[in-house]
Amino acid sequence: MVETTALHEVNFKVSKGEFVAIMGPSGCGKSTLINILGLLDNSDSGGYYFEGIDVSGFGEKERTNLRKGNIGFIFQSFNLIDELTIFENVELPLLAMKVPMLKRKARVEEILDQMRIGHRRSHFPRQLSGGQQQRAAIARALITSPKLILADEPTGNLDSSNGEQVMQLLEEMNASGTTIIMVTHSINHAERAHRIVNLFDGHLVIERSEKVFESINRVV
Amino acid sequence: MIRHSLYILLRRITRDKVLYFIILTNLAVGFAAFIVLSTFISDQFNYDKQNTKYDRIYRLQLFMDQKENTIKHTWSVTAALSRKDLVDLPEIEKIALIHDVGDNNKSGVFLSVDKKNQFLTRFGYFADQSVFDIFTFRFIEGDQANALVHPFSIVLSKAVADRLFPGGNALGKQVYGENKVVFNVTGVYEDIPVKTSWRPVFILPMLSYKAITGNQDYESNYWSYAFYTYVLLKPNTGSASVDTKIYNALKDYRKEHHPYLRPMSKLYIDPYFENSTYVIIGLISFLSALILILSSINFINLQTANATTRFREIGIKKTLGFNKKRLWKQFMTESVLLTFIAAITGLFLAQLAIPALNNMLGGETFSRTFDNWKLLVVIFVVTLVTGLLSGLHPAYIISSYNPVAALKQKFITEKTNGISLKKTLVTIQFSISIFMLIVGFIIYRQTQFMLKKDLGFNSETVMFSNIVTDQKGSLEPLRQKLLQHPEIKNMSVSDYIPFILPGGDDLNWEGGKPDEKVFVRISNVNYDLVPTFGLKMLDGRNFSREFPADRNKCLINETATKVFGWKDPVGRRIKVYNMDYEVIGVVKDYVVFSVYSPNEPHLYRLAKDSIMNNGVYAVNFVGGQEKNAMEIVKTEFQNFFPNDAFEFRNMQVLTQNENALRAWKGFSKIMTLTAIITIIISSIGLFGLILFLTQRKMKEVGIRRVLGFSHSSLYMTLSSEFIRLIFISVLLAWPAAYYVYRVLPAGANKYDLQIWEFVFATLLILIVAVGTISYQIIKALCVRLVDILKDE
Repeated sequence: MVETTALHEVNFKVSKGEFVAIMGPSGCGKSTLINILGLLDNSDSGGYYFEGIDVSGFGEKERTNLRKGNIGFIFQSFNLIDELTIFENVELPLLAMKVPMLKRKARVEEILDQMRIGHRRSHFPRQLSGGQQQRAAIARALITSPKLILADEPTGNLDSSNGEQVMQLLEEMNASGTTIIMVTHSINHAERAHRIVNLFDGHLVIERSEKVFESINRVV
Repeated sequence: MIRHSLYILLRRITRDKVLYFIILTNLAVGFAAFIVLSTFISDQFNYDKQNTKYDRIYRLQLFMDQKENTIKHTWSVTAALSRKDLVDLPEIEKIALIHDVGDNNKSGVFLSVDKKNQFLTRFGYFADQSVFDIFTFRFIEGDQANALVHPFSIVLSKAVADRLFPGGNALGKQVYGENKVVFNVTGVYEDIPVKTSWRPVFILPMLSYKAITGNQDYESNYWSYAFYTYVLLKPNTGSASVDTKIYNALKDYRKEHHPYLRPMSKLYIDPYFENSTYVIIGLISFLSALILILSSINFINLQTANATTRFREIGIKKTLGFNKKRLWKQFMTESVLLTFIAAITGLFLAQLAIPALNNMLGGETFSRTFDNWKLLVVIFVVTLVTGLLSGLHPAYIISSYNPVAALKQKFITEKTNGISLKKTLVTIQFSISIFMLIVGFIIYRQTQFMLKKDLGFNSETVMFSNIVTDQKGSLEPLRQKLLQHPEIKNMSVSDYIPFILPGGDDLNWEGGKPDEKVFVRISNVNYDLVPTFGLKMLDGRNFSREFPADRNKCLINETATKVFGWKDPVGRRIKVYNMDYEVIGVVKDYVVFSVYSPNEPHLYRLAKDSIMNNGVYAVNFVGGQEKNAMEIVKTEFQNFFPNDAFEFRNMQVLTQNENALRAWKGFSKIMTLTAIITIIISSIGLFGLILFLTQRKMKEVGIRRVLGFSHSSLYMTLSSEFIRLIFISVLLAWPAAYYVYRVLPAGANKYDLQIWEFVFATLLILIVAVGTISYQIIKALCVRLVDILKDE
């Protein structure tokens, strides 16, 4: 078997409250990066500091515990569970955190209304449009009020108007203080982030950060 | 969590109906078979359980320690034992002495209310009043405490009472026995359940035994082994001390006879310390467990295969922070839930099937499960264990998925270290299937062998009836009348006939050591028994009217000459009841009572050529003329015995319904059923398994097809592994099945095993496997190439 290296010497820092877009051609290592950042995978070498703690040596159990409630995921293919209703899908992270039922219910209702899909709560994913499914997936990512949201081509499967809605939601989340890292192929969407990280063949190529100062100024 | 699992499960079931139908059918059929067989097994241990004093009831039996005897135990004992030796023992609370009314073996007695409409009633007994203290009877009418204290009273079972007094209210009415004795009904009891070792249909008081039978000294007679004795021991008393005491009391009479008490729990299942019933029960239990294991393995395979459709669910849940343990729990819960759904379905399937099966197997082979709470508890536990064990592997596989890979919907290859679990399961599956089919064949062939076995006498064109009469005189007029009809070939009278087992005595023989004795069955026959039953003479001649001196002569059977060690038996002498007899002929061995039991020595004495007051009349008729012959016999006997009731029956009623043979027939049908279920479950299992494997190999097949592999080479690639596993299974299954053949309790009547039974069963499984593989492979070959390859 030939060993391949997905990422090599990728060093970058994402500050609290940042909105970072990651770009690059297919196979450049974007997904691997997202998986490492999302604690789904470990890097073979190097370190990963999450809130100042090196988590690169964490085992599966510790990673699961850290992920729970701290990191929200949004996928291109939504990844809603077919057998669960929208309500139950959105409820899942709270179930993982063993939040009591009444609290869970109230929180799910709140977030569904916020995402404007409350009326679809007892439908199954395949009964919804793509935009609605992605809003449900975002609701699921937001329900625990995570510190970090990882969005892997969130608009990839959506038409432009639905994609625009999703981008607006991400911006709103970011405005309320959530850190967002988004993989995208769309330069338009990437430019709405504070900073763009370009990957090529596992290497960090260029970091465009015109907006960084702007946004820092805005926050300050 | 359970609610969550249940929701997901139910939604998956409604979405993927076919797959879940297969999964559930497999398990439900497995459970149904397990439950049906379990009720059978449980019933074997539940005989006589309706008796509330079950634990304290014992039957007096006798061990005859004579090495030449082939049958060493009996529960026919002397009345003197219970009247003299048991009465004062402190351990014993109650004793009941019992004796057949008439000879239940031969026929029974005729009862009527008006001396006209008599009907033959088998299994009536004389008994002491104490039977009601020992056994549990449920009286509908009459006073149980005094039902047998007056002479000439009669207590009827409900079935007999209904027949005699269809309007009810039998109490106080009169019943005629054989039109000779009048009885006064003192009670009616509920019919005794079928699964009971002693089932009287009516009871007469033992205190009238003397008056009715004329047997004056029975209570002091240590030689007449014709009575049954049941005792009730005091609470917390063992039977061992009683055994010693009665042996000591009896040894002055016959030191080689050891009386002992046999607990009620053994009376049906193991009366005589033999393992035959246990072997059968053990085998059936083993088979029922195998069926369940087989369907559990299928379940494991199908669930593991099914798990590949759940990558997204697992991936998401893991991503969202569900840990391995929680996912494991979810899938275990799912497995247990599915198992319970299947078990409950199986339970109802079994309830639906049991009446039909009983119909097919005859009688009450299986009883209803819902009456048996202990069995329900067992089923509950077995279900739980099956669910947990079957869930273990799929749950482990599923919960170990790497979330990244799972979300990419990649097939996760199982880690293999030489022997993979999957291959092991498949091998077990094939082994069990092949084993069960071979055992099915063996039992079927054994039963057929016994059914078709040459009984050694004519049972097809002989009818018989026991006639109890006061009439005296020659039988010759009747014989002559019958022989005038071309349908009738011969007629005999004797006290016993084949399949009605006579008693006998311990005899010493010419040439034997003076103190050596062997139990020989003795019957009194007229000149015509041998030709009527088509018995064959090995040596010498039959009794003949042309030899007036034959009264002091006897015939013996083949086994007797072997036991006595006689090379030239004709002319030898033997002493029976202080009379000297000369052997004039040897009868070839025939099946005396049961194809199952070994042959015993027999001796036949010539009876007076006149009416026997308690004889069995047998008529040999021309084949195909049974109906006419029956009419003729009825008329002629009616004319000859105008005052006596009788009922002629075909000999096959006896030979085909003999207990051991019936048990084998039932056993064979159970095995057929088991074999069919095995094939169904194996097919389901193979289908699921191969479905899974070819599903995984779709891509491989696609690539190979692109590269130009021919269909036949693909077929070989995909099926060769299964074929190899089947051959490994043969190595496991064949010896196991051969072992079953070896331990099969068929006595001397075991059929000769043949290799084709093994080959045929294996071929059958091979055909099922190859059929399923082919179906799947053809399906895989028909898929458009682009559809396979773009999927990634």
